[in-house]
Amino acid sequence: MGAAGSKLEKALGDQFPEGERYFGLENFGNTCYCNSVLQALYFCVPFREQLLEYYANNKNQGDPEENLLTCLADLFTQISSQKKKTGVIAPKRFVQRVKKENELFRSYMHQDAHEFLNFLLNELVDILEKESNATKVSSETSPSKKIANGPCHPQANGIRKEPLVTWVHKSFQGILTNETKCLRCETVTARDETFFDLSLDIEQNSSITSCLKNFSSTETLNAEDKFFCDKCCSLQEAQKRMKIKKPPSILVIHLKRFKYIEQLGRYKKLSYRVVFPLELKLSSTVNNSDLEYSLFAVVVHVGSGPNHGHYVSLVKSHNHWLFFDDESVEMIDESTVQTFFGSAQEYSSNTDHGYILFYESVGGKS
Amino acid sequence: MTGMSSSKSYSANGTLAMHRVGSAGNTSNSSRPRKEKRLTYVLNDADDSKHCAGVNCLTILKDSPTDSCNYLFTGSRDGTLKRWLLTDDEASCSATFESHVDWVNDAVLAGNTLVSCSSDTTVKMWNCLSDGACTRTLRQHSDYVICLAAAGKNSNIVASGGLGGEVFIWDIEAALLPVTKSVDAAEDESSNGLSSSGNGLPLTSLRTVNSSNNIPVHNNPPHSYNPVAAKGHKDSVYALAMNDTGSLLVSGGTEKVVRVWDPRTGSKNMKLRGHTDNIRALLIDSSGRFCLSGSSDSMIRLWDLGQQRCVHSYAVHTDSVWALASTPTFSHVYSGGRDLSVYLTDLSTRESVLLCKKDHPVLQLALQDDSIWVASTDSSVYRWPAEGCNPQKVFQRGGSFLAGNLSFSRARASLEGSAPAPVFKEPSMTIPGIPGIVQHEILNNRRRVLTKDAAGSVKLWDITRGIVIEDYGKVDFEEKKQALFEMVSIPAWFTMDTRLGSLSVHLDTPQCFSAEMYAADLNILGAAEDHKINLAQESLRGLLAHWMAKRRQRIGAQASSNGDISSARDISLRNLSHSRIEVDDTSENHNTAVLPAFEFSTVSPPSIITEGHGTYGGPWRKKITDLDGTEDEKDFPWWCLDCVLNGRMPPRENTKCSFYLHPCEGSTIPVITQGKLSAPRILRIHKVINYVIEKIVLDKPLDGGSSDGTFGLGLSAGQSQLSSIGDGSLRSGLKPWQKVKPSIEILCNNQVLSPEMSLATVRAYIWKKPEDLVLNYRLQHSR
Repeated sequence: MGAAGSKLEKALGDQFPEGERYFGLENFGNTCYCNSVLQALYFCVPFREQLLEYYANNKNQGDPEENLLTCLADLFTQISSQKKKTGVIAPKRFVQRVKKENELFRSYMHQDAHEFLNFLLNELVDILEKESNATKVSSETSPSKKIANGPCHPQANGIRKEPLVTWVHKSFQGILTNETKCLRCETVTARDETFFDLSLDIEQNSSITSCLKNFSSTETLNAEDKFFCDKCCSLQEAQKRMKIKKPPSILVIHLKRFKYIEQLGRYKKLSYRVVFPLELKLSSTVNNSDLEYSLFAVVVHVGSGPNHGHYVSLVKSHNHWLFFDDESVEMIDESTVQTFFGSAQEYSSNTDHGYILFYESVGGKS
Repeated sequence: MTGMSSSKSYSANGTLAMHRVGSAGNTSNSSRPRKEKRLTYVLNDADDSKHCAGVNCLTILKDSPTDSCNYLFTGSRDGTLKRWLLTDDEASCSATFESHVDWVNDAVLAGNTLVSCSSDTTVKMWNCLSDGACTRTLRQHSDYVICLAAAGKNSNIVASGGLGGEVFIWDIEAALLPVTKSVDAAEDESSNGLSSSGNGLPLTSLRTVNSSNNIPVHNNPPHSYNPVAAKGHKDSVYALAMNDTGSLLVSGGTEKVVRVWDPRTGSKNMKLRGHTDNIRALLIDSSGRFCLSGSSDSMIRLWDLGQQRCVHSYAVHTDSVWALASTPTFSHVYSGGRDLSVYLTDLSTRESVLLCKKDHPVLQLALQDDSIWVASTDSSVYRWPAEGCNPQKVFQRGGSFLAGNLSFSRARASLEGSAPAPVFKEPSMTIPGIPGIVQHEILNNRRRVLTKDAAGSVKLWDITRGIVIEDYGKVDFEEKKQALFEMVSIPAWFTMDTRLGSLSVHLDTPQCFSAEMYAADLNILGAAEDHKINLAQESLRGLLAHWMAKRRQRIGAQASSNGDISSARDISLRNLSHSRIEVDDTSENHNTAVLPAFEFSTVSPPSIITEGHGTYGGPWRKKITDLDGTEDEKDFPWWCLDCVLNGRMPPRENTKCSFYLHPCEGSTIPVITQGKLSAPRILRIHKVINYVIEKIVLDKPLDGGSSDGTFGLGLSAGQSQLSSIGDGSLRSGLKPWQKVKPSIEILCNNQVLSPEMSLATVRAYIWKKPEDLVLNYRLQHSR
């Protein structure tokens, strides 16, 4: 452990970023799905900073009940406050908490990293919303009697219907618009949906850009699958498409590499080569602007099947690319990233494929 | 209905059990197809001479060969077509063509034959001057049929196009020929004879006939004629046009290309690209050289079919172009669309003028000399001056502009405030329609439906009588809905839609038989106090009353001698009716009489839509008063007839409600029962009160199930007195019996229940949990 740490330190030398820590995470038996996602989130700097700030603020409020959020905040604080610059940490409390909260992750089976990320983010949001509601209730009940005879505050009557926007939302949440056009009366119905990540269908020898294009391509609702048009009061053909209305500041892209094959009756891993660029442009429909993103983390699935294998992560920190494989942390060259695109042939010795991509917004251009 | 011996009997284990009389005969139906056919009835508004939904199409018959009158034919989203006799200043409805069961999408005239197509996937033919009987139904399409095209000078050829890219070219004469096999002649809807086949079938085999009929009809065309198919469309077809001689067919749709076909062979000639969205309207000039197309990309394009290219594109509209009509010489085009406007454009000079603008998107146009008929999503049809014989006259009135050739150039122009003023402000004639229903809410009592129509009027309907019982005028729908809220819970025994602009009520077995009411609540005279009425059964009786009467006449005249009585189970419906009539007329007279609350209007009788496959070969629609008694087991779903003729209903699971009855905490009243109780969902709380009084106060032992209707929640001597006093008195204070009997009140979730509430209502609004209902009783607090 000391050797690995010193090796990385040697490799970085003078360039070791001030105040940054690179720690491997111990594997408790198939918990690589968790470790790989945790590393990607740790090096998602806005998220880490918000979490540490939350931890600092909440620490003062006495002894809060342990939950997934406090466990994660604990873990991140533990890493960031290490005296050593490199080493290994055992995320024991966090993993125990995860297993306690969700029986899906309780077994020692191979788990899906995307499912875990999804669970984690939603759980964090739930906890934050509960906390916010609790404080709102306690702060609203006491002064309400005073207000009763005083001037009527508009807020007192207005019930806040808008969902709470937490700092998790601020980092990861984007808005999709689901547009449906009835082909008879040509009325367009738009429905907004929020998302934390985009799950993209993939094709052999394609790119993220083309997958995104397919994602927002037009689909016709017809035959047995017609659309009930409120204007026509009847079922009609319709065209439907998804547009990205508000791109998130951290764009998480999940490549659907695990596909259910009906003939086989099971899931199969698609090892398709899908190029993910280091810089990505995403157009938003709201102001027709292009948003530019930069890749900063990749969760990689290693293995040929969906039910076994290994997860590692690639992380970009202070312009260095690092390779996290449970306990071990290594420095890699930026050019190595492209070896994780996938394979152009179905049977290939390369089984390390980019699975979840983390992009951060680097400012927009009109 | 001896079912009012809906008697609960007290069984040894301390639960109330309801015995359903007559369920024994209904247990052997496991071989039934999974999905039974549905019966739908459409409530019509009072005036039969008006469309009650948007008008999708219109066509004109000039100088009719028989009476040299002019006629207008309109086809509507209400599912009917109408014929209007035109004079200079009036249009009067002279026939309604009713048989389609969904929107009529297009109609053309081929000689004297009116051809119509519908979202019900059929093409129908009618004698255009008849009183409205459908002469042939063509079931080749498998999806909505959207458009038709006729060849002006060759009245034998009609093309139909629709969703899924299906296009067929029909030889009208061949399609109308009587089919050689006599059984297939049944397809002819004007035939009045009883279909000779299948009438003697026993009821059990009747069901298998029904199940085998679930095979889609178009797989098994009932007649030998097959149309020419124009194959090769990749996408749905929304527009068709044919030249005069029927040698050229053009089609357009979501593929965004104009395809040109030879309709005689169905072979492809060419494909014309240019539009960037759905093609919604097409025209060909009589020579077949030029073609006009209107598209959702808001453009009109003129194509030279000889040169296979677009020669002009006209940016006239600010939104989708849905309708085109040209002057006889093809020098000018009238166009209408989603922007509510009708424009007139000179095809060679590109001069364009806004002719008129109304409140609804324009769906179709028809020129009649110097006027133009405009069909829109409004149920009314308007005629505007158009100067079709000399269109230059319109331009002389000013306000014209030069059509651009780039899409959206007009949209931009109108944004810049240069929107032209229409040449004509008012139509020269209006054929009024009834505003279609656009919103509906089924009220909690599941008999009343609140509706809002396109004009904003809010009305309350009684759907078991098919009439409007209150017209509130233009009020807020949501407010009215809330004002009419009743805390009652009745199972959803029907579903409903408003796609035809009126209320369509769908009945599906067995769900439709789930709702019951006490006869007393319908003010039925002489009904026993706990006599229950099944809403679907009574509605079906009401709907089929005319059919029953006609049928009785028919059969009475026909078969007075045939009197064999078979066992009720495997009797054929035909035989059944022979023997049953006598029974009906005597002992069960009460059964067949239509209750006033279910008497459907004869002024505006509802129409029935069924999926029967009998003489009609597929779904059909008829007014209930037009049923002539020949319709038989293959025309109606079997379960409707079983219900109406035999009084049989499928086993119903959810007419009962289980509950526990415990004393309130701290109450000194003894515990009267430990086990779970079961009673009809509609049982009133005052019955439960009676039960409690009976059990604890009078301490009258209940003899287990000795006789129907005498037990606890049912009737006993003491209670009938109570019930005759009525619910109101229960709350209103001191009645003689209360001096001797303590007052009991029932609570649920610590809330005192009104004696009028039903168990189902308590469960839905007070208990609000999926578990068995728990009721508590205690002595009423003195007031």
